Amino acid sequence: MVAAGVITPDVAAAIERHYAAVDSSRKGFGFVILAAIGSALIGAGIILLVAHNWDDLSRPLRCAIAFLPLVVSICLGLFVLRRRVESAAWREGVSLFNIAAFAAALSLVSQTYQIQGSFADFIGVCLLVALPVVYLFGANLAAVVYIIGCGLWILTMSSWSFDHPGQTFFWLFFAAIIPFYFGVYRKGRRGWTFGALSVALVASGMAGVAVTESFSHLQIGPVVFGGSFALVYLCGICRTNESINTLTVLGALGIVATALILTFKDPWRLRDITPWVSLGTEQHIAGAVCILFPVAAIGLAVWAIWSGQIEYSIAAACLPAVAFVGRAFAGSSQGALMASVLFNTYALVLGVELLIRGIRADSVTRANFGLLVVALLACCRFFDSDMSFVSRGVGFIAVGAAFLVANILFFKNRASA
Amino acid sequence: MSALRLAFFSLVALAEIALPAHSIFMRTQTLAKGRVWKLKAAPIDPVDALRGRYVTLAFAAETVPQSETLPRQSEAYAILKEAPDGFAVVDRLSPTPVSGDNVIKVTVNGYWTGAQRVDFPFSRFWLDEKTAPAAEGVYATNSRREKQNAYATIRVRDGDAALEQLYIGDLPLAEYLRQNPAP
Repeated sequence: MVAAGVITPDVAAAIERHYAAVDSSRKGFGFVILAAIGSALIGAGIILLVAHNWDDLSRPLRCAIAFLPLVVSICLGLFVLRRRVESAAWREGVSLFNIAAFAAALSLVSQTYQIQGSFADFIGVCLLVALPVVYLFGANLAAVVYIIGCGLWILTMSSWSFDHPGQTFFWLFFAAIIPFYFGVYRKGRRGWTFGALSVALVASGMAGVAVTESFSHLQIGPVVFGGSFALVYLCGICRTNESINTLTVLGALGIVATALILTFKDPWRLRDITPWVSLGTEQHIAGAVCILFPVAAIGLAVWAIWSGQIEYSIAAACLPAVAFVGRAFAGSSQGALMASVLFNTYALVLGVELLIRGIRADSVTRANFGLLVVALLACCRFFDSDMSFVSRGVGFIAVGAAFLVANILFFKNRASA
Repeated sequence: MSALRLAFFSLVALAEIALPAHSIFMRTQTLAKGRVWKLKAAPIDPVDALRGRYVTLAFAAETVPQSETLPRQSEAYAILKEAPDGFAVVDRLSPTPVSGDNVIKVTVNGYWTGAQRVDFPFSRFWLDEKTAPAAEGVYATNSRREKQNAYATIRVRDGDAALEQLYIGDLPLAEYLRQNPAP
């Protein structure tokens, strides 16, 4: 192309540099994954070899074997921090190996000496050790493991009773990884690292939200979930010039799921409300944490408007405020019905707004997502309303026709453009 | 920066080794110097008896007849005494810390039929892979309502309780299984 005069030699050199960088990044990712799988397989192999003769070994020998992988992982860790700190594959592999070796040593020692403790205690100790390892090695896979561990910890803590004390410590564990995530977030919201961390963070965070809300006894689940998903959505979409990223998608899916669930009457039926004064200090803290999410979401939305960067869906950002109104209705007689009517209207507005935003952005996927919200809303009403089959049939035909017409118009417009 | 990272990692490594090492040290001290108590096994749901490689334990002494109720999930201190049959029973429960070679820290469970239920800090007896399947049947048979022939020995030292051995009849579990092999 240079010879033909299509591009200049400078442009050709720039293209070569660009593809070399992309290729190197792909090779790096592949090497990281292979290193992680390799470490895990070696560890599992050693454990199986030792396990074969485990029952015939004395207690001190069992302990020595339990400590051996840990000591090796520490030596490797020191080597990596001194000599291989630039290599992502070394950092990822060794940090995972170190965390796994510590967990294995702790469980083997506990088993050998009949040391008791709950699974939650075990995960909690592992999290405390894993956190500095994540930061020291700048290890993304270890961070994903840590975040999943946080979710597992809170679910294990609450598996017997939602009122189990100590659950709010989850938010300390969770907050401790946020600076690491923010570092990845600032580097760019594309790529497997950001995607994997986001999925783990949202899944784990939502497990924490569910448990904390139940523990607080405030019965503001709709507001808290609405606020949390709106915050995720806004964090993903605000101040970005990039296309849709994992965080935005997760937030949008969460908002739609929450909105659709709240169109039913059952989520609005309140249990006996425990007076605020009769709750303990930890439950008060849990309540404050719950309120923080909708407040932060509304604050972020207002700040974006203030700074003139309204890239987000207004309807999606309004979810916590609408949920708050719904919760206020729910306290009255006939409140569940009024709140569900409110959310049916909200879900319809949300679907239509997402459709319009998709059309404006010339995105078939996003426009169809808006239509899908309307279709799902119709499906929800198909199951719980007293409408006749004829009315339901007409409704479904109307939604189906809207899908077809919108897509035909889309592709016609694209063809003519 | 690199030196700082190395220093921090060295501290983390120290903690990684110190945590299990401390557990081993404490447990060996309690097992060597602690006072021995015998705890009679209570009947348990046979489905719960064996989970992988451990036997789930329940003890008769975890039921404490008393009129006072304690808050569920709170921590309390069980003061042990020896009953005429040689087995340990809980003399009383204290919500405030008590120390001694007859004190176990327990978790308060529910209250019903005039008795406070508590959970001792040892509910699993880990077994090796060969013993586990046979142990399941033996323990279930010997910890039924009509035949309570299983008990455990623990050692207690300054409030730290260590599970020592599980007995069927008067034989350690492993020895019992050797003398009574599964058909």
